[in-house]
Amino acid sequence: MSYYFGRGNSKWIPYLLLFPGLLFYLVISLGPSIATFLYSFTDATGIQGAQMNWLGLENYREFLFMGQASRDNYSALGRTLIFCFFVTTIQFSLGLLLALLLNQGLKGTKFFRTIIFMPVILGAVVQGLIWSLFLYPLGGPMARVLEIIGLESEFFGGQPAEAFAWVIVVQIWANVGITMVIFIAGLQTISAEMYEAAKIDGANGWQVFRNVTWPLLTPSINTNLLLCVIGSLQAWALFLVLLGYRNGTQVLGYLIFAQGFGQTSGSVTSSFRQGYAASASIVLFFLVLIIGVTLQTILRRREEQIIG
Amino acid sequence: MNATVEATPKQFTAKGRQSHTRKPINWWRIASYLILALFAVIYLGPLLMLVNTALKTLPEFMKNAVAPPTSFQFQNFIDAWNKANFSKYLVNSILYTVVATSLYVFTAVFAAFPISRGYVKWAGFFLMLFVIALFLPVALIPQFQLILNLGLYNTQIGYMLLFLVNPIGIIILVNFIKTVPRELDEAAALDGCGYFRFVVSIVFPLIKPAIATITVLHAIGIWNEIILPTIYLSNQNFYPITRGLIVFQGVYGSDWPTLAAAVLLLALPMIILFLFLQRYIISGMTAGAVKG
Repeated sequence: MSYYFGRGNSKWIPYLLLFPGLLFYLVISLGPSIATFLYSFTDATGIQGAQMNWLGLENYREFLFMGQASRDNYSALGRTLIFCFFVTTIQFSLGLLLALLLNQGLKGTKFFRTIIFMPVILGAVVQGLIWSLFLYPLGGPMARVLEIIGLESEFFGGQPAEAFAWVIVVQIWANVGITMVIFIAGLQTISAEMYEAAKIDGANGWQVFRNVTWPLLTPSINTNLLLCVIGSLQAWALFLVLLGYRNGTQVLGYLIFAQGFGQTSGSVTSSFRQGYAASASIVLFFLVLIIGVTLQTILRRREEQIIG
Repeated sequence: MNATVEATPKQFTAKGRQSHTRKPINWWRIASYLILALFAVIYLGPLLMLVNTALKTLPEFMKNAVAPPTSFQFQNFIDAWNKANFSKYLVNSILYTVVATSLYVFTAVFAAFPISRGYVKWAGFFLMLFVIALFLPVALIPQFQLILNLGLYNTQIGYMLLFLVNPIGIIILVNFIKTVPRELDEAAALDGCGYFRFVVSIVFPLIKPAIATITVLHAIGIWNEIILPTIYLSNQNFYPITRGLIVFQGVYGSDWPTLAAAVLLLALPMIILFLFLQRYIISGMTAGAVKG
């Protein structure tokens, strides 16, 4: 491209000004990201000046094939997948439902969209504490509701499985707004003529959705599915705020943090095993990669079928 | 469309635009409002509970957690402010957010502009570098080693360094700058305007919507961050408000009225920001999402 701002040495000014942004990015983000692979082969600790040794595949061997520890890891992996499955299916369906409801030009649309999107910007701490209070077991709102139907619950202090289920609920509550606005944006690209044509053909509501809305919504469907799946595989901040490190509830993301940075609350005490944590990051990375690529392939094939 | 014509007692299920046709009772519309009302309860309920609790005394809360307060207790906010050391945390949060966001936005524009225009060689390669980050493993461990070995662990500078990066923002900027006509560059250069001045005084104002978007996006991210302060800051004096709140919860966990007041203090700036800048926030989130 032709460059208009001077010749000779002044041609380097754009490079000079580009440099800080690029440098920050390479040093703080991209470099460390790639270096995770290297660290996963070492016994690095979080202690300054400590010696670091090359272990080869030892961390992976321990993570995947060593007795109780690896069994715990597999349960964490399983929970990550369960979390991903429920969050994705429910968040996707609710997001779509809400988008359809809010795309009819009803009165109050803006109000509903605002309150449903709001938690997205509040962050994990506020989201988590709001729900801790809402689920306050000694006469909090949810406890009252359960009381009416004769149930009792300790919520986040209860059985691990129950606490885990509540984290899924809060995760969806907090993020369905994103799914919804992406669907709304997608719905707004569908022209009114398409609906008119379908109506003239005598299609009923379900047929309009099935044959017009759903296929034309493909780009938003793909985006939302990928976003939900990848996001929920990596999410763990709400576990930190709501549960802390508790046996029977950790997902892979939390495991990485707990191994790498020590986490003494709860029943498990671990050290600063950063090399090991790095290998766990790589396992998570491959999990996300495999699931992401598979999903992407399926979605692309489906898209071709619809167009073709 | 392969729809067959049906006699239509069931047409009340018809969605959207069909709701404008005249019918005695529009069941679909009623159902829509019922579902939306349910969601409103699920979304406003927890928030109202928070506000309600923040205005009560502890004995009141212990006696009946859901009852409305008998007298409004603003004392909780004062307690939270003092007990939780909130004034200090708030200053920290503002410092981190403002400094890191302005540095980030400034450097991001200077990175995105030449890439978008092709004023640097390998512009496509640079752009790819930024995109690739979205697919790589989390940088948590080596990033920590880096900060540790730079001697910046548990320092405010080290903490802020972590927030000088946000590839999604760069991608948003690169795309937006493409809408600024290239002729402007030529005309400005002919008038003797230098590159730096051109970007600062012409490009910045023209891409204001994109700048607003990435600014709020980045600022919200820093303000709400909990994982990084947990990892990088052990000195209480450096805590941002999020970390302070979690620590506060650990100590005063059963004192929900004060805790609720503290949560409100953390959430209010975001809620106000959101109500005013909703457009930019949503467009940023969706733009980022589409790229991700």
